[in-house]
Amino acid sequence: MAEASNESVANVIPGSGRQLIRYGVYAVVGFIVMLFLLGQVNQCTGMRSSSIGAVHAGSGTITLNLAQEPPQLDSTKATDQVSGMVLGHVMEGLLRYDADNNLISGVAESWSVTDTEASFTLKQDLLWSNGTPITAHDFVFAWRKAVDPSTASQYAFILFFIENAREITSGDMPVESLGVTAVDDYTLHVKLTEPTPFFLSLTAFPTYFPINQAFYESRDGRYGANAEDLIYNGPFTISQWVHNANVRLEKNQNYWNKEAVHLNVIDFAYILSDANAIINLFESGDIAQAGLNVELVDRALRNRWDIRQHVDGSVFFMEINYREGRLTRNYNLRKALQYVNDPSELVNKVIKLPGNLPGESIFPVWLKGVNGKFREEFPAKPMMTNHDKAREHYALALEELGLDKITLVMLSGDNPSANKQSEYYQSKYAKVLGLELKLDRQIFKQRLQKMTDGDFDLVLAGWGPDYADALTFGDLFTSWNENNRGRYNNPEVDRQIDIAKNSSDPNVRMAAFARVQDILNEDVAILMNYERGSLYVVHDQLKNVARRSVGPDPDYAFAYIVDEES
Amino acid sequence: MSDIGTYSFKRAHVDLDREEISRPSLSYWQDAWMRIRTNRRTLASLCTVVFMVLVAAFGPMLWHFDFDTQDLNQTSKPPWASRAMTVIEPYTPWVDRPAVEQWSNTGAPADIQAVGFPSIEFVRLTWSPVEGATRYTVFRTIVDPEDGPLGLPLGSAIGESANSYEDRIDLEQDRYWYSVEATFSDGSTTSSTVPIDVAAATTLAGAIESQWVESDSTLQPGDTLNTPWHPLGTDYLGRDMLARLMKGAQISLFIGIVAPLLFILLGVVYGSFAGFLGGKTDSILMRFADFVVALPFLLFMILFKLVFGIGAGESGILPMLVALVLLSWPAAARLVRGQILQIREEGYIDASRLLGTKTPRLILRHMIPNTMGVILVTFTFAVPSTIFTEAFLSFIGMGVEPPIPSWGSMCNDGRKTMETTPHELIFPAIFISITVLAFNILGDGLRDALDARMRSTE
Repeated sequence: MAEASNESVANVIPGSGRQLIRYGVYAVVGFIVMLFLLGQVNQCTGMRSSSIGAVHAGSGTITLNLAQEPPQLDSTKATDQVSGMVLGHVMEGLLRYDADNNLISGVAESWSVTDTEASFTLKQDLLWSNGTPITAHDFVFAWRKAVDPSTASQYAFILFFIENAREITSGDMPVESLGVTAVDDYTLHVKLTEPTPFFLSLTAFPTYFPINQAFYESRDGRYGANAEDLIYNGPFTISQWVHNANVRLEKNQNYWNKEAVHLNVIDFAYILSDANAIINLFESGDIAQAGLNVELVDRALRNRWDIRQHVDGSVFFMEINYREGRLTRNYNLRKALQYVNDPSELVNKVIKLPGNLPGESIFPVWLKGVNGKFREEFPAKPMMTNHDKAREHYALALEELGLDKITLVMLSGDNPSANKQSEYYQSKYAKVLGLELKLDRQIFKQRLQKMTDGDFDLVLAGWGPDYADALTFGDLFTSWNENNRGRYNNPEVDRQIDIAKNSSDPNVRMAAFARVQDILNEDVAILMNYERGSLYVVHDQLKNVARRSVGPDPDYAFAYIVDEES
Repeated sequence: MSDIGTYSFKRAHVDLDREEISRPSLSYWQDAWMRIRTNRRTLASLCTVVFMVLVAAFGPMLWHFDFDTQDLNQTSKPPWASRAMTVIEPYTPWVDRPAVEQWSNTGAPADIQAVGFPSIEFVRLTWSPVEGATRYTVFRTIVDPEDGPLGLPLGSAIGESANSYEDRIDLEQDRYWYSVEATFSDGSTTSSTVPIDVAAATTLAGAIESQWVESDSTLQPGDTLNTPWHPLGTDYLGRDMLARLMKGAQISLFIGIVAPLLFILLGVVYGSFAGFLGGKTDSILMRFADFVVALPFLLFMILFKLVFGIGAGESGILPMLVALVLLSWPAAARLVRGQILQIREEGYIDASRLLGTKTPRLILRHMIPNTMGVILVTFTFAVPSTIFTEAFLSFIGMGVEPPIPSWGSMCNDGRKTMETTPHELIFPAIFISITVLAFNILGDGLRDALDARMRSTE
């Protein structure tokens, strides 16, 4: 019997081997055929909502994608970049930015700003998209709404330069006491708490946009939730907003400067954030603009696309936790980390995307100083990586803390770039110092929550400017700033920021910021990583798209389409 | 019926010769081994499995690369990448930038050239500036731009007489076309392009630190050296893929073998208990097993992670193991219970019981061995599915934590660069596929060899 079974096994095997191979071939061929068929089906039925293509010169239409759906478009509550971008197209403040990023007249015809007050004369006969006149009262209503504690706007702080705004938001004063008054329908008067040389640029910020009170109240709490729950005073109106599908903007026929607006339709036909999917849409001619990440650069180069660079103004750094009981309170430990830190290696060999600059200071290179650029007038101390000194300080830290080994938790975002950076630091700290770094990767919201709770030792964080003045970065590490997540507390920093805030003399202000720059470096308050830049590609025929680091970005308000021939 | 007299019987002749077994007796395992030995497919898969286990156990000890050593100068290198490197001086900031010697008379920046040795550490460019320019933008691309776009904008040099730029970002050993574009105050631009070959390079100190050369090496700047070979290339932080795959094999095979071993053991005990006792107890026990089947694995994995106090950045392997063991046993329990129920009614069990065998011995000597085939086959099929579960969980970030790699997390990392550097995805995927396939074929072969029912049909 054993022999028989041997035989049968021996007979079966070669046969079944051939069978296996045959089935394998069938499976592979079937798989390829299926992929092909699915590709065909996808081309017929794909999620294409416009057949018009990326740009259409005849109808003045461009098609784009949104990274995400705007949560809502109430300008007093908007916080995210996408909402800000859409609002920048459909609304207009007292002033606005042109395509070259100069502040130009918006609703206001003329203006004057002093250390203590600002006043604006509005253009007459401007109309909302529903035909109602735009008056100074619309601004008073919107600004009161934004600081009203019941609105709970996360951006209320950007109005704190106006008298009593801070007290109103904390509930100590009634909203009516806000230092803004409509002298008449076309004159707006603002009282400032402190000298605010950059106040004009604030009036182009979405939180400062006007809202019509009658319309707001008629929507019964749904203001900004849908296209029909908004009226517009910007270059465009929202003609269609299908939630989680698309947002379509059409030229506003009531806009005072409609001659300068060349596009008729901006169709955000896709709500999509996956970089690969977006670049595929760009390649197939479905959208007019797409961002590039480091993995997509070679593809863009081989396709000979016209690649552009944009510096978005944000600064990225490692924030350190100074709360009671944290090892990172130890100066020598922080100093050791600083000597290991090599922003240039991080940018050139880990992040690898041109446009990013090695971080040297909390004040980015593009900020204005007294006459020229702040960083040219007040260069940051060069940071020299020095592993031997790092080890010396680390040994001192171990001694002071009475430990054999230090383990820290690094909080970071959960995306390919943040993962790469955190793994880079993990290995680097282990190799140079023998310090164990545990990585806590969290999605954006969760990371923000943990930062607020102080649940970290180190965190990879960043800060984008709210207005074009060094103060937006300078006051980050004051003891009173809610966004000082590590609770860094240095009376000297507080004092310098106070000096800067109470002066309108650029020499005094910039000297104070320069002092803050030095203190943050000497005390190792943070470790600098990089200043963010990005790469993107735009359709050949689409011109005059404005990119900016402060304010709605990108801005298609004054963009135009050229004919293919030209 | 009358008595049968003693004399009616005759002593039988015992023919020992006839009783003698003509072939040597085969034990269960000998028989199974014989079948496996003749089944080439099973044998091959068995060898693969043994090989994988050996690689996981001894590979990391023998291989000269550490799984966590980063080499940022050799990131995402495929296996066939060149290994030659030129030794260069340590990097120092470019302070003595050249003064303008000559202005361009072509209307575009001219005489673009590299200062010093263009290597992956830095490429320093100078050019003859153009009168009237306000700004120079430097571009770089990997294909000849001809008349098309200039490629990647790297940065700018401001001012009419600016004539130098240093590029350090993401350089690889390759030919790059560098372009310098002059922008004039009216917004018009002119440009010129030059190809530059960039060499792989390292400093002597860097080479010594990476242990590519001895610390008393006499290499001079300008000499070349060969870096050690990465047989499977490197990943996005320049870590050796083979070392990471071997480390990952430890995790995958540990979970893949230990978890099934534990939950099948639990299932066997539970199932044989239920099957042997029968009746109400059996019903209750098996309903409880049904209940366990209904519990969602992922949810429990997360719960265990919380209960064990696994903090941020700590490995999730232990909760994964516990969740697998606590939730996967019912399949094995059902199978064994079915077998036991069947075997309980067999004649040899009754015979054994009549001979006075005690219950424990009955179960251990007669019942379990007879279910051994089923148990082993279940085990070999459970291993690949568990390896897959681990890979999946690590893929979605629930398993190992960096720097420890696992095949699943390596696939997840490699997926992002699938188009540019496919080897980072393909190799871990091949390891998963081969191991899972080997265990499946082995399970198939073992079933053929061990399953009693299949044997009885032959």
